[in-house]
Amino acid sequence: MVLTILVALPLLTALIIALSPVKLTRMIAMLGSGLQLILSLVLLQNFLSERNVGNNAPFLFESNASWFPALHINFHLGVDGISVAMILLTAFVVFAGVLVSWKVEKMTKEFFLLLIILSAGAYGFFISLDLFLLFFFLEVAVIPKYLLIGIWGSGKKEYSANKLALMLMGGSALVLVGILGMYFSSGGSFDLVNLSTFHIPEYVQKIFFPFLFIGFGVFTAIFPFHTWVPDGHSSAPTAASMFLAGISMKLGGYGCLRVATYLMPEAAHYYSGYIVLLAAIAIIYGAFATMMQTDLKYINAYSSVSHCGFVLLGIGMMTKTAITGAVLQMVSHGLMTALFFAAIGMLYERTHTRAVKDLGGLMKMMPFISTVFFIAGLCSLGLPGFSGFVAEMTVFVGSWERSGLFYHVATILACMSIVVTAVYILRATGQSLMGPVKNENFNGLSDAQWNEKLAAVVLISGIVAIGVMPFWLNDLVSPGTEAIYNQLSRIALLK
Amino acid sequence: MTTLIVLSALGLVCLFSEILGFRKLLHPIVLIGLLASFVTNLMDWNNGAHLFNEMVVIDNYSVAFMGLMIGITFIWCLMSPDFFTEPSSETDHFALIVFALIGTMVMVTFANMIMLFLGIEILSIALYILAGSHKTKLSSNEAALKYFLMGSFATGFLLFGIALIYGATGSFNLAAISSMISEHHEQNSVMIVAGILMMMIALAFKVSAAPFHFWAPDVYQGAPTVITAFMSTVVKTAAFAAFYRLFIHTFSASPAIWAPTLMIISGLTILVGNITAVYQTNFKRMLAYSSISHAGYMVLAILAMNQSASSSLMFYATAYSISSITAFAILLLVSHQTGSDEIRSFNGLAKQNPFLSAVTLVAMLSLAGIPPTAGFFAKYYIFSAAIQNGYLGLVLIAILGSLIGVFYYFRIIIALFKSESEEKEIKVNTLFRVLLLVTSLAALALGIAPGMLAGLI
Repeated sequence: MVLTILVALPLLTALIIALSPVKLTRMIAMLGSGLQLILSLVLLQNFLSERNVGNNAPFLFESNASWFPALHINFHLGVDGISVAMILLTAFVVFAGVLVSWKVEKMTKEFFLLLIILSAGAYGFFISLDLFLLFFFLEVAVIPKYLLIGIWGSGKKEYSANKLALMLMGGSALVLVGILGMYFSSGGSFDLVNLSTFHIPEYVQKIFFPFLFIGFGVFTAIFPFHTWVPDGHSSAPTAASMFLAGISMKLGGYGCLRVATYLMPEAAHYYSGYIVLLAAIAIIYGAFATMMQTDLKYINAYSSVSHCGFVLLGIGMMTKTAITGAVLQMVSHGLMTALFFAAIGMLYERTHTRAVKDLGGLMKMMPFISTVFFIAGLCSLGLPGFSGFVAEMTVFVGSWERSGLFYHVATILACMSIVVTAVYILRATGQSLMGPVKNENFNGLSDAQWNEKLAAVVLISGIVAIGVMPFWLNDLVSPGTEAIYNQLSRIALLK
Repeated sequence: MTTLIVLSALGLVCLFSEILGFRKLLHPIVLIGLLASFVTNLMDWNNGAHLFNEMVVIDNYSVAFMGLMIGITFIWCLMSPDFFTEPSSETDHFALIVFALIGTMVMVTFANMIMLFLGIEILSIALYILAGSHKTKLSSNEAALKYFLMGSFATGFLLFGIALIYGATGSFNLAAISSMISEHHEQNSVMIVAGILMMMIALAFKVSAAPFHFWAPDVYQGAPTVITAFMSTVVKTAAFAAFYRLFIHTFSASPAIWAPTLMIISGLTILVGNITAVYQTNFKRMLAYSSISHAGYMVLAILAMNQSASSSLMFYATAYSISSITAFAILLLVSHQTGSDEIRSFNGLAKQNPFLSAVTLVAMLSLAGIPPTAGFFAKYYIFSAAIQNGYLGLVLIAILGSLIGVFYYFRIIIALFKSESEEKEIKVNTLFRVLLLVTSLAALALGIAPGMLAGLI
């Protein structure tokens, strides 16, 4: 029941926004997303208490209703630890996103409407246990992004919106082919739980795994399909960037893990070398590309490519620790990058520039925003105490567990990207926050408002909660990752 | 059968209204007549019959398609009152539309080749005149002439095909032909092969499938917008219903003859329609190409040849007709008040008229096949039916085609929200408001609860 409300609440919020006067839009959006955040925490609590009493079913709170009987499509919902973590992430980012968009003047109503519909798509995606339903929500989440960028964006917004929508639609088309392949080879089932016990023939897996993995991979910026990321992020309005990097890219990671790897373990094993290769390229290429950027949004966009590479690396390494690390990295990167984009948005709103060379000495008049920006940077470069460190460390340890020279080399290279990250993060934060004030017009600028402060505090509390006490998140997700790992190792044992 | 009689009576009433002087009442009379025929049609549900010495067959398949076409015509009559206000041609227009509808009815109930031919001719002759009904406009005349010349060519192919098949099997009856082909191993007979292919060419022309689609953009653009709307919804649905019935009920024993060719036609239609639509700057012409591409998807249902094929075709035709008629109604409003049917005239619509832009959004999403609209399920349903019959490669092309489709449908959506606008406020009267709301809600309802319609036949 909780799960159905989780999708219904955003839709209800959207409906109320559509019907109520413009003045109330912001309030309703905030209340709706706030309620959603509380609901997610309730879900977490319920989930943990169920697990504590020893309910070890792979998915909890399952509900199954027939939706389109002619094609065996069911409205099948259910969550495991990984989904709960993703739902929490979504709730945090959406709430913060609504708060930082407080000042949107252009078509306010439509803006918040799309933001909330987008979140409904993401929630639905994370709780679906029916592949068709999952695909349905994946598509639902694309359209609002297109409109958010195309209408409220800046710069070459139409080009970026088109590029993003076409690439993501292309990705989801590949996913559709993969899902159909599984549907027909399993005798007509979309049910994730059924499919996980059904043994899909190995040759079928080998055909359709690339479709699914690359399809979802496009969402999570797999090399060479990452090119929508820089354009999309840089043109998007602040809240849309937060959504894109914080949630949308995680849809892909979650799909790669939950659908591609979980349901086609043999093919996942077979292709794991390629996945690792692509991930390693994304990590290193992304890091070096970031070094060359001068625009703050581009810096964060390229660094997202690099950081999401860790997610794929963790999945590709296929050890238990590495998969857990991938999930942790998804949550951590989601929060961190949302915070980063929020801070960039706040800076841009005041200084009207995102070029690092034009900024400088911002710490003096905007101590709060600058601190937020700095914290996001530190989390990004993996400073202990923040979530980034926990996640990346887990990925590295897990990756090293995979034996073989190729995998070791990939791990080492990925580790070394941390140094590059440190270079670009420290350079960007140092130049824009420290030193003398470069532009005299900046002197009169004000610091963060209440809404911006609240948004930042919400995200930072998430980051620190993971960074300081990583075990709760680890305990939450590890049964889920273990199930995926068991699926993979069962295959290894068979051979 | 009652349906056909009711409609024929309605057509005659339309013609006589001029002489007997009740022209002003004609619009309500036609609407009531359509409703009556809709009801009599529904009474045939699960109540099938073979009539007139196996000339006509009424089954759930025909009832479903007839219901759809009468329903769309009803909506169409509501949205195009302006078209009928020209006093000189009012009665003719009504009568022609009703006769065209009768033609489509015959096209879905035929059990005999002659009836198919009659249906197509009744429909086409009415359409030739309607396409040219803007008598003073050059483009409308051009459209009529082009349609007439090309259409008669296609009819020639159809007759030739029928004649060849009659020569080989000695019958016009579909069941007899079907059993002749399957039992007597006549598959390899040259006459059969040539006959089937010729009929396929004729029908491919009628549904505007590539490479027989060249007439469609010019005719669609030149004809009055309301007629284009009728052609790309009701006429297309009828042509597909006939296409499906002929090929599945009669020629299904020998798919080797026609399936490979039809497969190429389908792939080509999808690619040509979608790719050409990308380059259009005129909304009406873009819809024409989009209608071509949708023909390509619907051909997939004929290729699928399995249980879900007929209901997937029905679902697709419904989803497509509803969204398409919405798009044309919007175009009517916009072009009427801005004086142009370029995509440009949609710029900034969101600010001037949020309601109109919201229904445009739904129509475009549905045509592009994006959830939660009917178009999404329609595409999905038809693709999965085709994959079941082993057409994976073709479905991949179709998916690629729909990706290209996303590009041009989205261009309309972005135009709605562009800030530069031509300050002209677009007004929507109550009738249109209700109409657009109903069609948009129908498109959404079919996308959220597709079970309502899927699996019906």
